[in-house]
Amino acid sequence: MIRRAFRAMGTDVELLLDAPRGDAALVAAEAEFHRLEKLLSRFRPDSELSRLNADGSIDAGPDLVRVVRLALEAREATNGRFDPTVHDALVAAGYDRTFDEIEAHGEVARRIPGGGRVAIDGNRIELQPGVRIDLGGIAKGDAVDRAADVLAPAGPCLVNAGGDLAVRGGSWPVAVEHLTVLLESGAIATSGTDRRRWTRNGREQHHLIDPRTGEPARSPFLRVSAVGSTAVEAEVLAKTVFLGDEAAARRHPCVLVRADGSVELTGGLW
Amino acid sequence: MTSVVRLYVVAVATVVLFLGWAFAAARPFGDSSPDPRMEALAAREQHLRAESMRIQRLVDRRWAAYGRRMAERSRAPQPVVRLTQLPPVTATRSS
Repeated sequence: MIRRAFRAMGTDVELLLDAPRGDAALVAAEAEFHRLEKLLSRFRPDSELSRLNADGSIDAGPDLVRVVRLALEAREATNGRFDPTVHDALVAAGYDRTFDEIEAHGEVARRIPGGGRVAIDGNRIELQPGVRIDLGGIAKGDAVDRAADVLAPAGPCLVNAGGDLAVRGGSWPVAVEHLTVLLESGAIATSGTDRRRWTRNGREQHHLIDPRTGEPARSPFLRVSAVGSTAVEAEVLAKTVFLGDEAAARRHPCVLVRADGSVELTGGLW
Repeated sequence: MTSVVRLYVVAVATVVLFLGWAFAAARPFGDSSPDPRMEALAAREQHLRAESMRIQRLVDRRWAAYGRRMAERSRAPQPVVRLTQLPPVTATRSS
């Protein structure tokens, strides 16, 4: 087994490949991460996403079109619980720079709910005036899926970007809370508020915005880990369940950590 | 009057008092039609319950379609996962 670790998209990325001579594949998978970050980060003023948010429209490359389309499909599937148009709500809550650079304390701006209009026509993306989008979690999930596709021809592999992970081939034991699950196919993602927290107006803020209120979500959970066929699906599912869709947790394998610390397994996971 | 008779009178009077109280509390001569505000609230609750079930069914259908699209797009089979006692090679956590 060979391993490569690096930082991208504001988190630690780990690539595991069960092949003796897969170094070139690891390098290619890392390059894929950096390439996608360059296009999809809202913290890089020269990224395609930043240009879209600045101008309101763009003739985009295939990666931005793909990820925006994934985000809009997720918004429809979750009835708006997942919404990429919470960009301004995130900024208002204080997440206006990379998490490493956020000031611990400050003032909170006004609340901005999601639901903004986004249209895709071919490679043209247009935003409703005043609407900006954030692709943070879903872009990371997409990068995990793409990197796994790059690695897969070389052998069984696992890609883990700060807890959002996908496997291709093989059986991979993965720690989830105090348990270990054996992932033979698909992906796992975890959403929670225990890492990215800061304070504004004396109130604790976090990065999981409820699009219906435009405010950091009040959840019955501390953390939600969800299993999906892709890292994008697992990411969307984890966030949606975190925002209170417990019915979705009954249909998919999930590990739920409630506010009192109790752990519950759902979706046939035992 | 002996004290025994007085005791009986007090006991009977107490029973009559409570029976009268219960009768009055039952409001036999009051308006027997239900409170329209309660009826409106009940109807509203029923409507919201039906609406919430309709939306839940819609979301369930969309989730199912979304999952199928994701699986088709990635050409990945449905996820396979189970608990194990093996030592983990990595961990998932909130990021």
